[in-house]
Amino acid sequence: MAIVLGISAYYHDSAAALVIDGNIIAAISQERISRIKNDSTIPIEAAKSVLSFARIKPEDVDLVVFYENPFNKLERVLVNLLRTFPRSYRQFPRAISSQIGSKIWVKDTLSERLKIKREKVSFTTHHKSHAASAFFCSPFRESAVLVVDGVGEEDTTSIWYGNGQNLKFIQSIPFPHSIGLLYAGLTAYLGFEVNNGEYKVMGLSAYGSAKYLDEFSKIINIENDESFTLNLKYFSYFTDTETGFGPALEKLLGPKRNKNKPWNLNSEEDKRYADIAATLQQVTEDILKRLANRALKITGSENLCMAGGVALNVVANGKIAMQIGKNHLFIQPAAGDAGGALGSAIIGSIELGDKRPTPLKNCALGLPIETDKVKKMATDLGLSTKLLSDPAQTISEKIEANEIVCFLHGRFEWGPRSLGQRSILANPKLEETKDELNLNIKKRENFRPFAPVILGDHMDKHFEGQPDLMTPFMSTVHHVKKNKVEQLKAVTHIDRTSRVQSVDENNSKLLNNILHCVNKKTGLPIVLNTSLNGPNEPIVASAQDALLFFMRHPVETMIVEDQMISKKGL
Amino acid sequence: MNIGGRIKTIFSLIGHFLSPSKWVLIPMLIILLFAGILLWLTNGLSYIAPFVYSLF
Repeated sequence: MAIVLGISAYYHDSAAALVIDGNIIAAISQERISRIKNDSTIPIEAAKSVLSFARIKPEDVDLVVFYENPFNKLERVLVNLLRTFPRSYRQFPRAISSQIGSKIWVKDTLSERLKIKREKVSFTTHHKSHAASAFFCSPFRESAVLVVDGVGEEDTTSIWYGNGQNLKFIQSIPFPHSIGLLYAGLTAYLGFEVNNGEYKVMGLSAYGSAKYLDEFSKIINIENDESFTLNLKYFSYFTDTETGFGPALEKLLGPKRNKNKPWNLNSEEDKRYADIAATLQQVTEDILKRLANRALKITGSENLCMAGGVALNVVANGKIAMQIGKNHLFIQPAAGDAGGALGSAIIGSIELGDKRPTPLKNCALGLPIETDKVKKMATDLGLSTKLLSDPAQTISEKIEANEIVCFLHGRFEWGPRSLGQRSILANPKLEETKDELNLNIKKRENFRPFAPVILGDHMDKHFEGQPDLMTPFMSTVHHVKKNKVEQLKAVTHIDRTSRVQSVDENNSKLLNNILHCVNKKTGLPIVLNTSLNGPNEPIVASAQDALLFFMRHPVETMIVEDQMISKKGL
Repeated sequence: MNIGGRIKTIFSLIGHFLSPSKWVLIPMLIILLFAGILLWLTNGLSYIAPFVYSLF
């Protein structure tokens, strides 16, 4: 019976998670509180939030587990600086500043700032945290676990075997050979922001053809044992923190894309970049399928759990699921570094004798929306408010009328997806809705797709597939049925895929009701569901964030639980 | 700041590198610690670059 706090920090997407007596109580990314996208600072506010939500005093916490071992990481940094000297000499001062300035003191910082005894703070390892977050949240009793990310302490890819309460390391691929860093390097080459633009590359890839496979065969080698090595002459992420790729990559693939230039996928130039993205995506999928096979073969399991930033590649997840069976693959929804906080908390909890958590059913692990506060603030701002007797009915009427609605309900989501707690909902039929959202509200590239949410028991009528272990979390894609594309223009990507979310009464009662009402009115049990945030902002968390978003964007209606807020009268 | 805790961290760090296979890193670690203290005293560098996590 223990209270365990898990923490991830210092690289990207810091987070805190709280596990009590083996139950996941709360998990919050720091960015949701600090309002800094991909915030990597030590998540003191997030940690205080999860403790305060559970009404736990810091002194009552039994164990704090940091998601990686900073000394092992420092060792890898030193070895790498030595290995790449003199090319790395320019990075030496920064390495010193970064390591000695904060990272090695994480135990002290957590202890001092959270006012928890230093003896209660411990470390685990980066990939073990990821593996634990995937396996122990899955419905599987036993499973292979594949972790693929940029780099942890020294591993970039690792295979584990989970059985009951146990997680056993099997093997790994060490830095600098990394799928995450390959993808990140090409993300930078294509003019997107590293750690924030990888999913844009994935979306862009659907517009191209994999025409650069010969060139990529020079960049990455697939070994006989299904592992891989990178040809490091094309990369610079081990000596340079700015670009990630080297001049040799530009010689091979042509000049990098100007990141400030607007995208025009009708131009030859941007078609070429789309082809490069498509090739990268295909190569990534190929490697991940091989690694998945290898993990299953080595462990003898028929189930696979995945985590690490690369497991956020929903298109690749869909391909792996096709290969191994859709109900044999589970992706922890916060698969990136934030998820390490949850994994480390579970590791600590099991070490203290608690049972593993029950399988993750939904992602509403953040703080609840304060409806009264929203109402008061809205009134103060001169907005009109109305108490709704049936919010689902009202939302369905607005969807039928092609209105875009901001919708806030319950505790905000864990992970990078809006799953109906902090969402923008719209009619999925019209392509104009997609353009309106992309251009005027989200202000993002026009090639970016939107996702639908559907009643689970209607899924196979509109998509090529049934609900599976990933669809409640939007962790995979399915093809829209050919005869349904016309009806689902706003949520069908150019390759006919869609990052579909399935809902039933058990994982979201209100969203389930909304979809039933929408179905009665429009004949479609589907709504476009995108995250409630503006460009380069974290998803809305609090009442204040919601009002700020609402006032700054051309949306007329916001529904917060049973309160409707509108701009009428402004 | 808990000075006692910080000293424990320094001892843990030294302990980590005391394994014979890691002795080669000790000179670098000493330079790193010395420079780190200087940077800490002078408020050091704070710029974070995109690939900073891959390198350090």
